[in-house]
This record gives sequence, structure tokens and C-alpha cells, in this order.
Amino acid sequence: MKSLYKANILVLVALLIMQCDDSLLNVEPKTEIGRENFFNSAEDLQMYVNSMIDWPNVMDLNHEQSDDATTSGSSELRNVMVFDLTAQDFNGGWSWSKLRNINYFLENFEKADVPQETLDHFEGVARFHRARFYMDKIQRFGNVPWYDKVLGTDDQDLYKAVDSREFVVDKIFEDLTFAAEHVRETASTGAVKNDVVRTYMARYALFEGTFRKYHSYLNLTSTADTYLQIARDQAKHVMDTGRYDIFTSGSADAYGALFTSTDLQGNPEVILLNRSISGNRNSGWWGAGFGQYEQSHTKAMVQSYLMSDGSFYSAQPNYDTHSFVEEFTNRDPRLFQSFAYPGWIINNSGTYAQGENGTEYIQEFNRNFTGYHTIKWFVNSAEATTQESLDVPVLRYAEVLLIYAEAMAELGSISQGVLDATVNKLRDRVGMPHLTMGTAADPMLQARYPNVANVVLLEIRRERRVELFNEDHRYEDVLRYGAGQLFETLPKGPYFSGLGNHDVTGDGIPDIKLIGETETIPISDNREVNALGKQLIYYRAGPYGSMASVFLENGTSGAVLARDSNGTFEAPKDYYRPIPFTEIQLNTNLTQSFGW
Amino acid sequence: MKKLRSLYGICFAIALLASCSFSVFAQSQTLSGSVSDAVTSEPLAGVSIVVVGSETESGVVIGTQTDAMGRFNLDVPAGFTALKFSYIGYISKEQTIQGQTMNVVLEPDVLLLEEAVVVGFGTQKRANLSGAVDEVDMEALELRSISNVTQGLQGLIPNLNIDYTAGAPGTEPIINIRGYTSINGGSPLILIDGIPAEARDLNLLDAQDVSSISVLKDASSAAIYGARAAFGVLLIETKRGGGEQMNVNYTHRTSWDTPTVIPEKVTDPYVYMRWQENSSDATPWDYINYSDDMYAWARDRSDNPSSTDAVRVNPSNTSQWQYMGNRDWSEYFLSDYGMSSNNTLSLSGSTANTNYYLSGSMDNQDGALQIDDDNFERLGIRSNVEYRLNQFFNITNLTQMTQSSRNAPSYLSGESSSMQSFYLLAPTSWHKNPDGTWANSAAGQLAAQLTEGGDFVDEYNKFQTTFTLRSDIIPSLLSLNADYTFRSEKRNYDWDYKKYRIGYGPNDVRELGNTAVYRYRMDYDYQVLNLYASLNKQFQNHQFSGIIGYNQESYDFYRVNTSITDVISSSLPSISLALGSTNTSDSYTGWAVQGVFGRLNYIFKDKYIVEFNGRYDGSSRFPENDRFGFFPSASLGWRLDQESFFNVDAINVFKLRASYGTLGNQSVSDFGYIPSMSTYNNGYLVDNNRPLSISAPGMVSSNYTWEEVTSQNIGLDIELLESKLQFNLDLYTRDTEGMLTLGKELPSVLGTSEPNENAADLRTKGWEVAVNYRDNVNFLNDRLSFGARLTLADAQSEITSFDNPNQNLNQYYVGAQIGEIWGLTVDGFFESEEEITNSPDQSSMVPWGAIPTTVGSIKFADINGDGVITKGTTVADPGDMKVIGNSEARYRFGINLDFNYKGFDVQTFFQGIGKRDYYPFHYVFWGFHQQPYNGGFTHLLDYYRAADDSPEAMSQHSQKYIDMGLANANTDSRYPVLQAWNMDVNTYGAGSTPNDKYLLDASYLRWKNLTIGYRLPGEIIQSLGLSQVRVYLSGENLMEWSEISDIVDPEAVTNNGRGYVYPFQRRYSLGINVQF
Repeated sequence: MKSLYKANILVLVALLIMQCDDSLLNVEPKTEIGRENFFNSAEDLQMYVNSMIDWPNVMDLNHEQSDDATTSGSSELRNVMVFDLTAQDFNGGWSWSKLRNINYFLENFEKADVPQETLDHFEGVARFHRARFYMDKIQRFGNVPWYDKVLGTDDQDLYKAVDSREFVVDKIFEDLTFAAEHVRETASTGAVKNDVVRTYMARYALFEGTFRKYHSYLNLTSTADTYLQIARDQAKHVMDTGRYDIFTSGSADAYGALFTSTDLQGNPEVILLNRSISGNRNSGWWGAGFGQYEQSHTKAMVQSYLMSDGSFYSAQPNYDTHSFVEEFTNRDPRLFQSFAYPGWIINNSGTYAQGENGTEYIQEFNRNFTGYHTIKWFVNSAEATTQESLDVPVLRYAEVLLIYAEAMAELGSISQGVLDATVNKLRDRVGMPHLTMGTAADPMLQARYPNVANVVLLEIRRERRVELFNEDHRYEDVLRYGAGQLFETLPKGPYFSGLGNHDVTGDGIPDIKLIGETETIPISDNREVNALGKQLIYYRAGPYGSMASVFLENGTSGAVLARDSNGTFEAPKDYYRPIPFTEIQLNTNLTQSFGW
Repeated sequence: MKKLRSLYGICFAIALLASCSFSVFAQSQTLSGSVSDAVTSEPLAGVSIVVVGSETESGVVIGTQTDAMGRFNLDVPAGFTALKFSYIGYISKEQTIQGQTMNVVLEPDVLLLEEAVVVGFGTQKRANLSGAVDEVDMEALELRSISNVTQGLQGLIPNLNIDYTAGAPGTEPIINIRGYTSINGGSPLILIDGIPAEARDLNLLDAQDVSSISVLKDASSAAIYGARAAFGVLLIETKRGGGEQMNVNYTHRTSWDTPTVIPEKVTDPYVYMRWQENSSDATPWDYINYSDDMYAWARDRSDNPSSTDAVRVNPSNTSQWQYMGNRDWSEYFLSDYGMSSNNTLSLSGSTANTNYYLSGSMDNQDGALQIDDDNFERLGIRSNVEYRLNQFFNITNLTQMTQSSRNAPSYLSGESSSMQSFYLLAPTSWHKNPDGTWANSAAGQLAAQLTEGGDFVDEYNKFQTTFTLRSDIIPSLLSLNADYTFRSEKRNYDWDYKKYRIGYGPNDVRELGNTAVYRYRMDYDYQVLNLYASLNKQFQNHQFSGIIGYNQESYDFYRVNTSITDVISSSLPSISLALGSTNTSDSYTGWAVQGVFGRLNYIFKDKYIVEFNGRYDGSSRFPENDRFGFFPSASLGWRLDQESFFNVDAINVFKLRASYGTLGNQSVSDFGYIPSMSTYNNGYLVDNNRPLSISAPGMVSSNYTWEEVTSQNIGLDIELLESKLQFNLDLYTRDTEGMLTLGKELPSVLGTSEPNENAADLRTKGWEVAVNYRDNVNFLNDRLSFGARLTLADAQSEITSFDNPNQNLNQYYVGAQIGEIWGLTVDGFFESEEEITNSPDQSSMVPWGAIPTTVGSIKFADINGDGVITKGTTVADPGDMKVIGNSEARYRFGINLDFNYKGFDVQTFFQGIGKRDYYPFHYVFWGFHQQPYNGGFTHLLDYYRAADDSPEAMSQHSQKYIDMGLANANTDSRYPVLQAWNMDVNTYGAGSTPNDKYLLDASYLRWKNLTIGYRLPGEIIQSLGLSQVRVYLSGENLMEWSEISDIVDPEAVTNNGRGYVYPFQRRYSLGINVQF
């Protein structure tokens, strides 16, 4: 019986041990942290604002929505213009998670036990990001609701109506002003510093000022100058710091080198740098508009470059029927640093870019492509580590100068001194003659912007388009200029006088042969061989929509056509996108504007 | 090295065994005798003989087994008067000891009614069950050559649904009882020897170690397990020792595996290239353009494959190779036959106060990959020892250790994506250059990555031990139990990437790829404590039993992940020997449950059975205020056959059962109610590093507690013809209420996912039937016994509550059937341009509106008559969509047949699904119709061709192309006109929307198993000193019949419609079982 007692005592002891363990069910995360234990130190605040970084990547740097480029794939604007889309067709652009993340910070950061200057700095950084968030919303929708708090599930403000553009933009600039006053002047590479805030502020102010000026139906024209002045002052502020300069390096290709560099640290022109280091953070480079993947650039862009003597390309006789080689003769050197020109050597032949490495690139043509290939952002090296280490200058000083020049011109304060301090510095870099106050008017530009009489302003717009080509500005520029009809411009490629042999490398020896759309490309033994002993590359040419491999305007001659229609731009509706239909269903106080 | 370790394991098991001492029990009477079959008089070997009452009186079971000649010797201590003879398939018999010789005959039978069925915290006589409980016939399982227990359970029990999503070695099964559970998931509770286990543990369990498996299906039988038993319980018990003599059992099996289904591809290079180019020609994006030279080469390869090389120096770039392959690469990479083996050794027996069962097993399963190591190894050791101190006090220890390891190339680690590569490689690709280097071609690169690009090892070690103290305070009336279990699991997931070499040209061999080392370390700790008291009391016609108890469990999981790039030496991949940036993170999760449970069972006159179960359960997964829930249930049983008014002779048993009960489901995330923030490295560089970042926590709701699962069950058990025929039927309804899901859909300005609330209800209705027949006849003076078991089950689920007032189709809505497939209706193909002009606008189904709708294009029906084909967003306005099918499996069935005659046994098993729809997406089904990059699957050759090719085009084709009819019109086709991107799953067009024409019938019948065994005659094995030898041949997954089985294994359709699965295996095995 003794062992019976022992056994039962054991059981009882076990029971007692159990009873002490009343905290068993309190299991909590150990590698995550709650708000009550966070937001204490400057390090905490820094860690949180790190989550707000989302700079443009090389992938984003494309122009396929603008008149600089086209796409054989899908682009939202083209779908809007070609198809009769309604709000039901949209579900993009209405994401609010970034804002919640920012507002959550702004509701909690003050409990950190740090000096007021530190608090102000981080508040400034967060509000700067909020301004960026809202500027994107304003640019897309025109009118959106303003929230400066974290919403709960029961919050009635979930169901509020949109606020006016004026109200929201005022709020954006309140945030930016606070940030400009409090964000520190120095920061790590890639992080937010004072000049980053001010450059964005200048960019946004130029957008808002010109948008209000050229979109008179908003009835905000009278307030345009306020923002143009902010643009002017903020740009000037950055210029006056003396911290930045146009990058020259002594090389003729200094301009182009800014966009294919694996290390832009310390470059005097770069205000904000989005770095990539292969293996640690890959650039995600994929060809960036070169070759045969959906995107190709347009004749309208190529024609925008001046002649190398500063004269207008449109002043060249018969410029519209220049061959590809002629088109690339005696032009603004930036054209040769932006496009694969006749004689350009390819070193990164791959999936999309064809040809043998180390040889002259022979322009590749294909249905629905223009045949122009951009080399701005094109890493001309087959080395994967180079491709994945491409640095992106998110903000560069050239833009600041252009903002200043344009704001001054819009405000009627432009002068030769201002031009010399801005546009002409960019021209000096590439050895282009200076822009002067007495410049003549380019009829090509006048036709593009019929609502602008100021000839110098037109030239500043050209300079901006050329200098900032393929850097994600053109689409928004056309929006703010109120020049949406430009999106209707047919995307064209090089001009061909007719079927037969053509030189595209500039040595006078034919490289390609255009044959009729119904002809058969001979097998290789029967193909024509040029003076260099190389077989010609054959394309069947025909009218748009035929089974040919190159579409020509006139069937057997004319410019290459990537599309036969871009649809119709309907103003003001097409300057905006609708709020997704499902959101209007969920919140009936939301209303669509501008005819959506 | 790994082999060596396994060997150590076996040695260890033997050492363990050797250390046991086998003392002979003091006795006073020696009995001998024989046991034979009552019908045939054949001696029966291996009959278990136990001295009745020995366990309760002396603390240990005294017994033995008959030898190969059916003979036995047994020493029976004084004071015992009877022996019990039992043998699987025969009625057990208790016989009083008379004299020194006993010759016993046993009646063959399978009537299991008197057998005890394992239920929660105890056993119950089958006759006295009132809940829905099923039991697996372990004999059927042991005889088959399955590699683990779950494989064998498939189809045996109606509504115990076991699915595999892929055929990779070691794939974890998905186990379900009675159909769709909750939108948050929910699976049965699996208990091995009373201790909760994961589905993966079943992979580690050797079928030879299992003594019983019960399935508790309804709330009433599962209630005692509370929190996690809402969707049924699988109870598995392992073997215990017994028998006076040591019984050694050795089993060996060798198997050969080959993939079941691999979609068939065109191998002819010309056909492939022309087909591919045609698909892109018909679109605005003429991306695929082969030169005439390549076509000429392809034509030569096609017309004269033997005299045309697959590799040449590129004529236009003489430094590079060029390729023109002509084979189906899935065959090259995925082996025809892989070998697997299994060894088990067990020893069992007893001494004066000790019963022991020791076993060791070793499994080696080869995967499908042919060109490099791809296998799964398992090693298991188990020791089940019971020690009886005296008549009151009993200690048991169950200990097991398992080790498994999965080895494969690193580039195979994302299995489904690798499988995608195997299936999609173009036949024109090639593997090796003439100089022996890997080819600069997709097949060569993949082969190089697999063979040279590094390996992964997924090692898993488990140690579990359970101590049980049982104290029979008042023997056979009241007992106290306390058991404590500790389990420690470690998982090391190590892999590395190495550079691999590709030959670009005759003198141009390049190193490609990155180097990296990954080390993942995972620790799981798990503890269980059970305390319970059970009471049994019988007086006159009343039988009471009850249990009251306490349970607590806690679980912790820690994980540390480290990786580093730029390894210095590829032969020594190590964190310390690498230069690149390291990335380290850790994570933790854990949970705990606590509960008090009780059961009261009352049986009157073996006729009326009443049972109550209840459990008060708490879970750490819910906020403190909503942590506990009480879950009661009740059940009733009525043996009508025992009533005096019931006078049907043919019916031996007629029992009605009914049960009702509620259980909690806690299958929600561990910390779902705690708003917390985790750190991560932002994807942007700040000062050349990805900065540590933290962002706002997600939202949690205040309304957050248990999902409640209420089930009702009505059952009927009938046994006829002297119980040779048994019939079981169950009908049930299961309501899953308060499922945690998004509350009402809120505007996106909320800025985060809506918090989960207990906001949705679901109802599952179903039924299940099992029919058993077992009989034996005298056939040519020998006993022929045979049996059949049929199971059939069905379940359907419907959403009964969901806050979706607009009935948006992107969410569940009230009335939605789980698995319903919304899709368009196809009205044939367009036959003329006129028809296109006069038909509803199809442009919204065309990707980017850009691909011309032409003769031969799919014509969708304008169901709502608005002149446009559209996809709607709500139930009220679904556009032209409607419900065209349902992807949930219905009418699952299993058919088991077995025969025994003259030492031969034959078993065969069919299994299948009676109804299921499947809409296929992706290249395996759509090939070049999806995009022009991958294709060549032969079923797609039957595409629409409006007219014959022109004579010029004809003259360029290879003979094969013309012979296959591809140059000719084909207007009566299965597939539409060939236009790449038109069926692209990534666009919002037709390719991403199911339609009725291409909805496939995924029901199937599979011949799952055939086993033919033979027991060597007694004389022979006797002379070898053995007690039983059985050899067998077995085949698994022998054949399948299904509409989809040309393209995808019918069991693999759970894999989201894409069909890239690790192939299932057909397996042919040869095995031997020796006992002595």
C-alpha cells in the first residue's frame, strides 16, 4: 500500500505544479514589438522613417505614356484614349497604405525622449513623405479626401467626401514648408535631407503653378503665381547653397555617363541618389527601353533636339523625310548620348537587343515598334553585376536649374542672366551654343504649344524635354502644360524613301533591305551581301496592320508607324483618372469629377 | 555519410534490445497444444495466446504465440484457469484449462462488434459507440507496401479525405474529415499515443509500428479533445509488447518508382518551331522569328534525325555553339525508374513486470530527378515499455526518435517552379556540347544548375518521450492517470548555390551563377500534460463510466535564418568562408492551450446508450477576455436488435445513433490579436546598406474569439447474415460559425487590411456510407476467405453568413457554394467574318484589346444580352458569367477487395472522386495559346486552322509537319485559332476566366493498389526455425481513368489549376516479412 500512496502523492504534486502555471496562456511575440515599447529614441524614429523610402527605380523610368515613346503593350492613358473606359474599368491608384504608415508615425513619434530639434527633423521627414503621397493622388485624381490621422474601422471619416484641390494642396505645402524648415541639411546617401525636400517642393510647386495656369476650367488661375513663386524660391535656395554643380568630368559623354554609372556617390550634380549594389540591392535593370520589349521612342522626341549649331531641326529642308542616318547628323550631342545612333557599338547583346557584341548596331525593326532605341539607362555591358549595380540619380541639379528658369519665365522675370545661370550651363556641358533672350520662334514648338506666346519659355520647355528625356518627367509636363492633345501624336520611327537597300550605320554601305509585304525572304545563301561582305538584313515592309514586319506610313515608303491611332484625348476628363467604382459603391459620399 | 548514420541507428536499436534482460517467469504448470482453422483444419501460425487475468493479478500479460505449425507451449502460473486465443480474422475464444494439452479450433470471422475501439482517453466496445467513430482494419494496411501510414489510409474510411498536392518524396499529406472546414482552414486533430501530432509526423511513422487507428468524426466523439478537435480526430496507437517469448519481426521492401503522368510534348524541332512562330505571327507582337537557316536545320533534323547533329558551330558567329534538339526533356530530367527501400525490425515480448516493444525502421525513397541526387531518407527508433510495479501502479514510457532528410539540388528547392522548367523546356533545346560541357541552352543550363549549382538538405530530427503513471486506486473501478510528454524537434534547412559552367562555344566556357550559403535553424519545443481520472461501474443492467480530466499544452518555435553571398571556395560552402553581405533574422511563435474535460457514459441493458461530453478550453491565440470557451455535446445510441419486438433473424445488429455538439476552432494565427511591428530591411540602399526599418502594425479587432463548430450526426449501423455483411450510414450537418474573416468591406482609405472579426458562417452537409462483406467458403478442401469494403462519402459547403451586402464576387457571399467556379459560356468558334460583325462585342476578353478576333476565335455567349461580353462584379450583375462548375471533390469512394487461399493473399484497392470540376490555367494546358514562349503539348495540336497552307509554305515544311496534318485546314477542332496571349492567364482577358468549354471533368478512378502475398508453408519455415515468412509483390497507383489524366495526375488538381507538380509515382514493390 505504500507504493499506492507514493503514486497518488506523485499525481497530486503534478497537479500542484500545474496550478501554479496560470500564466501559461500568455504567449506573446518575441521578435516583434508593440507601440508601447517603441518610439522611444532617435534610433527608433530613424528606423521607422526608413520604411517610408520608396524612390523611383530604373524600372519606373519610362515614357511609354507620353509623346516621347509608345508601347506595343498596354498603357493606361492609351487605353483611356482608345477605349471608352468607365470607372468600372479602374481599380488602380487608390491605395492608402503609405499614408496610414506615415500618419501612424505622426501620431506616436512625439513620445520619444529626444531634443525638440530631433523631433522636428523626423516630423519633417514624415510630413515630406506625406506630401509626396498626396501629390501623387492630386496628380491622378484632382480631388481626394485629406486625412491626417490613422483611421479606425468605426471612424465616420472613412465615408467623407473629397476635399477640394485647393484645400489638399494647401495642406501639402504646409507639410513641405514645415519639412523645408526642419529637415536637417545632411543625411546619409539615399536618405531625406533638406535639399531633397526643397527640390521636391520646387518640382511640385512648378507642377501646381503651371497646372493651375493652363487648366483654366479649375478657376484657380489667379493662384498660379503663388506656386510659381514657391518653385522659384525653393529652386533658388538649392542653387544658393553652392553644394551642387553640373557634372562635367572633362569627358564629352559626361551627360550620358550620369545614366549608366555604377557609382554616382559624390557626383556634384546628384541631389538624391538611389543606389544599387549587385547582390545587396539589385537595380532590376532589364534593358530599359532598348530593343524589342514593348517600349520604343518616337520621332517627335528625336526631332526635338536642336542642330549642333543651335539652329532648329525644323529649319532643315525636308527634315521630315530625312533618312535615319541624316536625322542623326550634326545634332545636339545629347541625342547621341540618348539614342543608339548610326555607328553605335553594342556590347550587351541579349534577349531584347540583338546583334553581335563589339560590332556596329544595326537598328532592329519590328511590327509595332518605331525602330529607335534609347541608350539612356542602357547598360552597354553583358556583365550582370554591372547591370544590377546601376545607380539612379533621382534628383539632379539640372532639374533645379530648369525649374528655376521655367518659373522665372512663367512669372515674366526671365533674363539673359537667368538663362546663363540655368539653361546655358546645361548647354555648356555638351558644347551647345547658348540660348539667348532674342531667340527666334521654332514653328514646330509653336505648333505643339499654341497657348504659349513666350518664345523663350518654349525653348526652356524644349531644353527640359531634351535634358530630362527618359527621366519620368515628360508625361507630367504635358499634363501641366494642358497640352493633352500631344498624346494623340502618332508614334513614328525612321523615314524610308522606299523599298530596297538602306544604310543605317552611317558608312554609306547598305545594311538592311526592305522588300514588299508579299515577297518571301530568301534563304540565307541567296541573300544579298554588302561591300563589307555581310548579308543584308531583310524586312518585309507594308501598310499598318498588314502581315509585314515593318509598317510604313505609305505602305512602301514613309516613316515607320508603331500605331495608326493613339485615340482621342478628351479634355479635361483625360487629365484625370476616376476613383475606382467599387470605392464609390462603398462610400457614396465620394463623387467622380471631370466627366468620369 | 548519411547511409552510415542510418546504419548507426539500426545498431543502436539492436543494442537497446540486447540490453534488455529476458528473465523467465516462475511457473507451476506447462501447457502445450495446437490451434487450427475450424473449417479447413489448417494449423494457424501466430495466434496470440494470453493467460486470462494475468495482467490484473500479476501485473504483466502472460502469453505466447503459436509457431509455424500452429503449436504452442506455455507456462501458466498457479491460480489461472483460462486461456484466450485470438487471431486477426477469427473469433477470439476463451477456453478453460483442462489437462496439459489443449487443441483449439478458431472460427474465422471479422465481426468486430465486440472489439474495443480506441476513443478519447479510453476504449469503447464497438457495440456501445454512440458517436460517429470509424476504425481502420490494420491488417489491410500492413499487407500493403505503402511508404507511410497516410498513404494507406487514403480511401479506407468514408469522409477521411487524404490528398497529396505533389508526388515529391516526403510530401506532407492534407488530411481532412468530412469536407470543407472553415475559410480559415482547420484540419483534424491527430493524436499518436494520445499526444497531438502534425500531418508531417505521419510521414515519419512506420505502418508496422501501428496497432490501431480510429477516426472520430462527429462533435460528440471528438468533444473530449475540445479546442482543436472541431474537424475530427485521428487516433493512432502504436504497438505494445506482449507474449512470453520474444517475437522478432523483420520486413524488407524494395520498390521501383516511375512518374504517373507527364504531359506529352512534341519532340520534332520543325513542328515545334513552326507552331511557335505561327502563334506569335498572328498577333501584333511578332516576337518569334526563326531564320530560314534554322528552319532548314530543323527540317533536316526532322527528316534525318540520325544523320543531322543536334549541335553545330553557329555559322554566323563561329565562336558559339548552336542547338537543334529533338527530345522531350521532361523524360531526360525525370527518371523512368527510381529505387526505394524500406527496412523494419521489431522486437516485442514481456518479462515478469515488463512489456516491451522496440523497433527500428529505415526508409530510403528516391525522387523523380534523374540527373542528380533527389531523395528522402527516414530513420526511426521506437521504444514502448510498460512496467508494472504492483497491482495498483503502472509506469509506461513511450519514446521515439526520428530523423529524416530530404536531399536535392538547390535549384530544385522551389519544386513547382523547377517542375515548370522541366515541363516547359523546348524540344529544340539541348543538354551537352560535343566537348562534354553543358550546353548554352535552356536544357543545358538547367542541367548545369541542378548538377553543379549546389545542394540543399532539409534535415529533421524529432525526439519525443511520454511518461505515464497510472494508479488503479480501486482496481477496475477508479483509476488516476498522469502523463507528461516532451517533444523536441529540430529542423536544419541548409542550402548553397555554387557557380556552374556553361559551354558557349568551342573555346568559350563560362562560369555563371552566384554563390551563396543559407542556414536555417528551427527549434520546436512541445509539452503536454494530461491528468485524468476514469471511473467504471456496472451493476445489474446499468453500466456507468466517466472521465474527468485536465490537459495543458504549450508549443514554442524559434527560427534563425542566416545567409551569405560570395563563397570563397565552392567546395566549402560555409558562413565563415564567404565574403559577401550576411543577412540574419530570427522569429518566434508559440501557443498554449489549457482545458478541463469530462465524459459521462451510461448504458442500460446494452440497449440504450447515452453519453455527455464537455470541455472548457482556453487558448493563447485569443485576447485575455475572450480566451475561454465551453463546448458541450451529447449522443444517444439505441440497439433496436436487442428489443424484444425486433424479430428479424437475418439482422444481427440494428443500431441507431444521434449526436449533437459544439466545438471550438482555434486555427487562427498565433498572435492575430496583438498589434505588433516587425523589422525588415528596406529594399533601398541608405549609405550602401539596406536599412533596418519598421512600419505601422496591422489592425486588430476587439471582436475576436473562437470559431464555433456545431455538428449534428445521425447514424445507422446494420449487420446482416451472421454479421458477414455490415452497413454503416451517417448523415451530418456541420455549422462553422463566427469564422474569423474580414468584417464588412471598408473603403480603401483605411490604408490597411481590415481586421479579422468573427463575422462569417458556413454550413457543411454530407453523408457517408461504408459496406463491408466478409465470408469464407470451403473451396477444394481449403478455406477461401474473401472480403470487400466499399466506402462512399459526400460533402457540400455553403456560406450562410458573410458581411457582403452587395454580394461582390471578389468575396464570399451568403449562398456561395464553396468551390464554385464562375465562368463564361462558349458558343463555339466564329465561323465567318460576318458572324463576328453580327455578334456581341468580344473585345473585353481580348488581352489589351489588341489581338484580332478572327474566324476560329472563341465565341462567348452574351448571357445577359447587353451586346457586350463582360465579367460582372456582383451576384446580381455577373455580366456574362455564371456558375459553371465546382472544384470541390464530391462522392469520394474507395473499393477494397481481398482474398485468401492456401497461403496466398490478394488485395486490391480502387479509389477515386465521383465529381469534381477543374479549370486549367497556364502553359501545360494552353501552350502557345498562352504566350509564344512555351508550348508544344500534343493535345493542343488540335487547334483551329481555317485553310490549307499555300504551296510555297508547304514546300518549306518538314514531312512530319505535313504528315501530322498541321499544314491543312482543321475547322472541327478542340482548340481555337492559334493566337499567342489570347489565353494568357496574366491578363484580364479570356485566359484568366474559366469557361464551360474547357472546364475539365476532374473526377477519377484510380487503381491504387494490388498486392499479392504468399505465406510459406509451415513445414518449410519450421525447418528454418522461423514462425512466419510472407513474400509479396505490390503495385501502387497502377492505373487511372480520368478526362484529365493525359495532362495532369488527377490527384494533383488541388495545385491551383497550373499543373506543374512534382510527378506522382507509380510504384512496384517486392517485399518480405519474416517472423521468428
